[in-house]
Amino acid sequence: MKQHLGRQSGVQKVDVNLLDGRVDITPKEDGKIDPAQLLKATYDSGVTVAEMDVTARGTIVKDSSGRLALQVEPNRSWAFAANELSKGLESLAGTPTVVTVQGQVYKKPAGKKKADPSAPPTLLILEVQKKE
Amino acid sequence: MNIKIFARLVLFGSMIVVGPVAQAQINHIEMRVEGMT
Repeated sequence: MKQHLGRQSGVQKVDVNLLDGRVDITPKEDGKIDPAQLLKATYDSGVTVAEMDVTARGTIVKDSSGRLALQVEPNRSWAFAANELSKGLESLAGTPTVVTVQGQVYKKPAGKKKADPSAPPTLLILEVQKKE
Repeated sequence: MNIKIFARLVLFGSMIVVGPVAQAQINHIEMRVEGMT
Protein backbone atom coordinates (compact mmCIF):
# COMPACT_ATOMS: atom_id res chain seq x y z
CA MET A 1 0.00 0.00 0.00
CA LYS A 2 2.85 2.41 0.86
CA GLN A 3 4.38 2.08 -2.61
CA HIS A 4 0.96 2.32 -4.26
CA LEU A 5 0.13 5.57 -2.41
CA GLY A 6 3.63 6.94 -2.98
CA ARG A 7 3.08 6.67 -6.74
CA GLN A 8 -0.02 8.91 -6.67
CA SER A 9 0.41 12.42 -8.01
CA GLY A 10 1.18 15.11 -5.47
CA VAL A 11 2.46 12.68 -2.82
CA GLN A 12 5.89 13.42 -1.36
CA LYS A 13 6.07 10.97 1.53
CA VAL A 14 4.00 8.16 3.05
CA ASP A 15 4.48 6.89 6.61
CA VAL A 16 2.62 3.75 7.66
CA ASN A 17 2.22 2.62 11.25
CA LEU A 18 1.26 -1.06 11.20
CA LEU A 19 0.43 -1.13 14.92
CA ASP A 20 -2.41 1.39 14.95
CA GLY A 21 -3.22 1.42 11.24
CA ARG A 22 -2.30 5.08 10.86
CA VAL A 23 -1.09 6.38 7.51
CA ASP A 24 0.48 9.86 7.30
CA ILE A 25 0.76 11.41 3.87
CA THR A 26 2.89 14.48 3.21
CA PRO A 27 1.90 16.28 0.01
CA LYS A 28 4.44 17.86 -2.33
CA GLU A 29 4.95 21.58 -1.83
CA ASP A 30 2.69 22.50 -4.75
CA GLY A 31 -0.19 21.02 -2.71
CA LYS A 32 -1.73 19.42 -5.80
CA ILE A 33 -2.97 16.22 -4.21
CA ASP A 34 -6.37 14.60 -4.58
CA PRO A 35 -7.77 12.95 -1.41
CA ALA A 36 -10.45 11.14 -3.44
CA GLN A 37 -7.72 9.61 -5.60
CA LEU A 38 -5.85 8.51 -2.44
CA LEU A 39 -9.01 6.89 -1.06
CA LYS A 40 -9.48 4.97 -4.30
CA ALA A 41 -5.80 3.97 -4.41
CA THR A 42 -6.01 2.67 -0.83
CA TYR A 43 -9.13 0.63 -1.62
CA ASP A 44 -7.43 -0.69 -4.76
CA SER A 45 -4.55 -1.98 -2.64
CA GLY A 46 -7.01 -4.10 -0.65
CA VAL A 47 -7.19 -2.02 2.53
CA THR A 48 -10.31 -0.45 4.04
CA VAL A 49 -10.15 3.24 4.95
CA ALA A 50 -11.92 3.87 8.25
CA GLU A 51 -11.28 7.61 8.37
CA MET A 52 -9.43 10.34 6.49
CA ASP A 53 -8.47 13.68 8.03
CA VAL A 54 -6.82 16.59 6.25
CA THR A 55 -5.14 19.80 7.24
CA ALA A 56 -5.74 22.36 4.54
CA ARG A 57 -5.59 26.09 3.99
CA GLY A 58 -7.72 28.17 1.72
CA THR A 59 -10.37 30.84 1.51
CA ILE A 60 -14.02 30.51 2.53
CA VAL A 61 -16.48 30.63 -0.35
CA LYS A 62 -20.09 29.74 -1.02
CA ASP A 63 -20.46 26.97 -3.59
CA SER A 64 -23.00 26.81 -6.41
CA SER A 65 -25.67 25.47 -4.04
CA GLY A 66 -25.03 28.23 -1.49
CA ARG A 67 -23.19 26.03 1.02
CA LEU A 68 -20.05 27.25 2.77
CA ALA A 69 -16.91 25.68 1.38
CA LEU A 70 -13.13 25.80 1.68
CA GLN A 71 -11.51 26.68 -1.61
CA VAL A 72 -8.25 24.71 -1.64
CA GLU A 73 -7.46 25.20 -5.33
CA PRO A 74 -8.79 27.69 -7.88
CA ASN A 75 -11.10 25.01 -9.30
CA ARG A 76 -11.68 22.82 -6.24
CA SER A 77 -13.59 23.50 -3.06
CA TRP A 78 -14.90 21.29 -0.24
CA ALA A 79 -18.35 21.98 1.12
CA PHE A 80 -18.45 22.06 4.92
CA ALA A 81 -20.56 19.66 6.91
CA ALA A 82 -22.48 22.06 9.14
CA ASN A 83 -21.27 22.34 12.73
CA GLU A 84 -20.46 25.12 15.21
CA LEU A 85 -16.98 25.64 13.76
CA SER A 86 -18.27 26.02 10.21
CA LYS A 87 -20.88 28.54 11.39
CA GLY A 88 -18.05 30.55 12.94
CA LEU A 89 -16.43 30.87 9.51
CA GLU A 90 -19.56 32.15 7.76
CA SER A 91 -18.55 35.80 8.14
CA LEU A 92 -15.33 35.10 6.19
CA ALA A 93 -17.15 33.89 3.05
CA GLY A 94 -16.01 35.85 0.03
CA THR A 95 -13.21 37.63 1.92
CA PRO A 96 -9.50 37.19 1.14
CA THR A 97 -8.83 35.76 4.64
CA VAL A 98 -6.90 32.48 4.41
CA VAL A 99 -7.84 29.93 7.06
CA THR A 100 -6.08 26.72 8.03
CA VAL A 101 -8.42 24.00 9.22
CA GLN A 102 -8.13 20.40 10.27
CA GLY A 103 -11.11 18.31 9.34
CA GLN A 104 -12.50 14.97 8.38
CA VAL A 105 -13.22 14.36 4.68
CA TYR A 106 -14.17 10.69 4.94
CA LYS A 107 -15.49 8.28 7.52
CA LYS A 108 -16.48 4.69 6.85
CA PRO A 109 -20.25 4.35 7.20
CA ALA A 110 -21.43 2.35 10.20
CA GLY A 111 -22.87 -1.11 9.61
CA LYS A 112 -22.65 -2.92 6.30
CA LYS A 113 -23.28 0.10 4.10
CA LYS A 114 -20.71 0.38 1.36
CA ALA A 115 -19.00 3.73 0.91
CA ASP A 116 -18.57 5.31 -2.46
CA PRO A 117 -14.93 6.43 -2.56
CA SER A 118 -15.56 8.50 -5.70
CA ALA A 119 -18.28 10.64 -4.05
CA PRO A 120 -17.29 14.31 -3.61
CA PRO A 121 -16.07 14.75 -0.03
CA THR A 122 -17.54 17.15 2.49
CA LEU A 123 -15.29 18.60 5.16
CA LEU A 124 -16.29 18.23 8.80
CA ILE A 125 -14.18 20.85 10.56
CA LEU A 126 -12.55 19.54 13.74
CA GLU A 127 -10.29 22.52 14.43
CA VAL A 128 -9.68 26.01 13.01
CA GLN A 129 -5.92 26.39 13.36
CA LYS A 130 -5.20 29.79 11.84
CA LYS A 131 -6.82 32.81 10.21
CA GLU A 132 -4.53 35.06 8.15
CA MET B 1 4.14 59.24 -14.82
CA ASN B 2 0.42 58.59 -14.35
CA ILE B 3 0.71 55.43 -16.41
CA LYS B 4 3.45 54.15 -14.07
CA ILE B 5 1.30 54.79 -11.00
CA PHE B 6 -1.68 53.12 -12.65
CA ALA B 7 0.45 50.09 -13.62
CA ARG B 8 1.68 49.74 -10.02
CA LEU B 9 -1.88 49.94 -8.69
CA VAL B 10 -2.99 47.19 -11.09
CA LEU B 11 0.01 45.04 -10.10
CA PHE B 12 -0.56 45.39 -6.33
CA GLY B 13 -4.31 44.93 -6.76
CA SER B 14 -3.83 41.67 -8.66
CA MET B 15 -1.40 40.43 -5.95
CA ILE B 16 -4.03 41.05 -3.28
CA VAL B 17 -6.76 39.26 -5.25
CA VAL B 18 -4.72 36.31 -6.57
CA GLY B 19 -2.45 35.85 -3.54
CA PRO B 20 -4.71 33.97 -1.12
CA VAL B 21 -5.94 31.52 -3.78
CA ALA B 22 -2.36 30.81 -4.82
CA GLN B 23 -1.49 30.06 -1.18
CA ALA B 24 -4.38 27.61 -0.80
CA GLN B 25 -3.28 24.05 -0.42
CA ILE B 26 -3.53 20.74 1.41
CA ASN B 27 -0.80 20.57 4.06
CA HIS B 28 -1.24 17.10 5.48
CA ILE B 29 -3.42 13.99 5.16
CA GLU B 30 -3.89 11.32 7.79
CA MET B 31 -5.80 8.08 7.32
CA ARG B 32 -6.83 5.31 9.67
CA VAL B 33 -7.03 2.03 7.81
CA GLU B 34 -8.29 -1.47 8.59
CA GLY B 35 -7.23 -4.83 7.27
CA MET B 36 -3.58 -3.96 6.80
CA THR B 37 -1.14 -6.90 7.14
